[in-house]
Amino acid sequence: MPPALEVKEINKSFGSHRVLHEVSFAVEAGEVHALVGENGAGKSTLMNIVGGIHNRDAGELLLKGQAIDPADVWQARQLGISVVFQELSLTPNMTVAQNIFVRREPTKALGMIDWQRLNADARALFEQIGVDISPTELVGNYSVGIQQIIEIAKAISFEAEVIIMDEPTSALSESEVDRLFGIIADLKAQGVAIVFISHKLGEVFRIADRISVLRDGEMVGATKPAESSPDEIIRLMVGRSFDDLYPPKGVVGDEVILEVRELSHPPLFHDISFSLRKGEILGIAGLVGAGRTEVARAIFGADSYSSGSIALAGERLDIKSPREAIEKGIVYLTEDRKVMGLFLSMTMRENIVSAALGRFVGALGILQHKEIAAESGRAMQRNDIRPRDDLLSVNSLSGGNQQKSLLAKCLSANPKALLADEPTRGVDVGAKVKIHQALRDLANHGVGVIVISSELPEVLGLSDRVIVFREGRISAILAGDNISQAEVMRHAVQ
Amino acid sequence: MQDAQAMRAKQAADAGLLRRFSLETLQVGGLALAIVVFAIVVQLNFPVFLSLPNINVMFVNFLPEAIIALGMTIVIITAGIDLSVAGIYPFSAIVVGLLMLAGAPIPVAILLTLAAGAVVGAVNAFISNKFRVHPFIATLAILLILRGVNIIITGGSPVSGFPEGFAIFGQAGIDMGGFTLRYSVFIWLGLALLTGYLLRHHRFWRLSYFIGGNRRSARMSGINVERYLVFVYMLSGTLAAVAGIIVASQFNAANNSYGQNLELRVITAVVIGGADLNGGAGSILGSMLGVLFIAMIYNAFAMSGISTYWQDVVVGAMLLASILLGEALKRRRA
Repeated sequence: MPPALEVKEINKSFGSHRVLHEVSFAVEAGEVHALVGENGAGKSTLMNIVGGIHNRDAGELLLKGQAIDPADVWQARQLGISVVFQELSLTPNMTVAQNIFVRREPTKALGMIDWQRLNADARALFEQIGVDISPTELVGNYSVGIQQIIEIAKAISFEAEVIIMDEPTSALSESEVDRLFGIIADLKAQGVAIVFISHKLGEVFRIADRISVLRDGEMVGATKPAESSPDEIIRLMVGRSFDDLYPPKGVVGDEVILEVRELSHPPLFHDISFSLRKGEILGIAGLVGAGRTEVARAIFGADSYSSGSIALAGERLDIKSPREAIEKGIVYLTEDRKVMGLFLSMTMRENIVSAALGRFVGALGILQHKEIAAESGRAMQRNDIRPRDDLLSVNSLSGGNQQKSLLAKCLSANPKALLADEPTRGVDVGAKVKIHQALRDLANHGVGVIVISSELPEVLGLSDRVIVFREGRISAILAGDNISQAEVMRHAVQ
Repeated sequence: MQDAQAMRAKQAADAGLLRRFSLETLQVGGLALAIVVFAIVVQLNFPVFLSLPNINVMFVNFLPEAIIALGMTIVIITAGIDLSVAGIYPFSAIVVGLLMLAGAPIPVAILLTLAAGAVVGAVNAFISNKFRVHPFIATLAILLILRGVNIIITGGSPVSGFPEGFAIFGQAGIDMGGFTLRYSVFIWLGLALLTGYLLRHHRFWRLSYFIGGNRRSARMSGINVERYLVFVYMLSGTLAAVAGIIVASQFNAANNSYGQNLELRVITAVVIGGADLNGGAGSILGSMLGVLFIAMIYNAFAMSGISTYWQDVVVGAMLLASILLGEALKRRRA
């Protein structure tokens, strides 16, 4: 029997830039085939070609042995290929059912929508995949995690034979990931072929039957999880070997940089007390919604708190705005760099110095452009941002380089304490290693660093101590070299 | 501690009340309430306010705005804007008049004029799609061009002297003793009911909410957004032409000065009616109530003898209030 989907010798260039070269790839019915590679390796382009978004320059697409040529997303879906996009294709102001069946709504005479059947169809779909989601609720009222599941339900509703999931877990909490994997197992059992694109090798090894690795637009290897290891996959992905994803831990001083005492803001968080020492990386783990981001934003002055105190280097602070926080030396690296952290349409240079413009102001408030250029150049070098042209707009950079420039922006403010919220979300392994190293370098230079991450291996690999949040409270503070993922999870959920 | 608990319980109850109704229901309901209160206050001071003849006057005066607001609502739902309606409106009054004066039969003149409105709308969408210009700029340019064209083709003087049968669209009506209920009111009513129903229930028309809510995701769902916007702006242009034909009939004349600032009155009404300039929200019912509210304010001021300059102050304040209310509701529900 031919594979559910086969891609043969695909070539694709954008202008003079070659993105895919002679790429072949196949996924069988009832198989989960993981596709991994660094950002820019060509994974998304490949899947966009399969999903009907881009045209290919050369090569063949075969669906169950039949050559196909989908002209757009819609046609691909009707053929039985559904792509679950990394950036959700849902509209927040419409109901769940309307989103799932847009353009396919059951109708009465003259194209009028049959609302009852529409909602009933959606309800049946959710029953089939075993989730409790209301068809009549507005999509915007659900969390990103649930929206991801709705997106997958939408893909399933096309009776897809091939479902392509592009980074489906990047916004999910651990329990939501479990639920997603349950759904994937069911789909597998029904004979659906699944292409699973992910940066998270832990998940890839958990769910995949086969793993294919793309590097610089070429397929460099395909293997089975049982016959390989994360280290080997990483080697294939980057073409060089990494001794370790995480830098060696440093020496933590005794001096307390940031002291948080009984910080409360019901109902978001209660009685949060901890101290951050000079040279320390303090990890904050917990489920999405446990109050981690809220506490960080309160410390940074972006949100208010009801009671409690914050002291920086022994000095009691009363910060009311991010501006004051930055002046005092507290910097917050935002969770969603696209929304809050970077000015996407502005140049790298403007972004890098934007948090510290005060340092470059001369008489009468005139900006000192020479010094700005010099500082920006140093930051580009120090953080290894590529391409090394700080007059490019941030838009044009890859995700990893965007993240590195966000870090550069924070550093130009000379922070005493850095709060990094999901610093490596959605970036590839190579960029991840560099960000980890940059955070550790900072700590080694005496900055206190707080890392909030939903990826447990990252929290554990990077941090000197780990604080676990649960439902707005600290449920444990763990120290030592032998903290296990299981231990952290236990504190996070029970 | 108990206080905190009580507060949380109250917050939950508030949220429950807010969630029971959709944002649209709350906004349209609030506007309807404001209209009733306003009407009662004015009525107590000027007993003629709610008399049928006066209501009829309100309708007739704001009929063009009401018809154009139908198209504008859909344009705004798709996160667009159409300023050119204030150019198409006098343009189509002039075109229908010139065609009839040139000897075209009335139905032919009307069809050609409607087609002209649709073509202008298509040009709006084409410019905006093709050159990736914000519709504000594209339709502003077309508005300015049409204003100039209107003066050029009329030489600056009114066009008049239309055939008798043309009066049916804007002048003639049913004699209600005391006043004439014009047929044009039924044209508006029919169009409003039709667009309102289609926008709520028709598969194709509803796509406008998807496009305005998240253009990228609409594209991902296989919607040809550019082509859809051509339809939307053609609709808006055609409806502006309908309004222009009615006004030409009403005055038995066409003048390039018709419709000064009409685009702003229409947008104000649509936004007061709950439409979101960022797209994705809005309703025909809300927009019609918005037009009614503005019509009542203008009428009441004219009646009261207070300087009519104040009416714009009130309309502006109402616009602000409705936007602030909408934002507050959104935040409470989030």
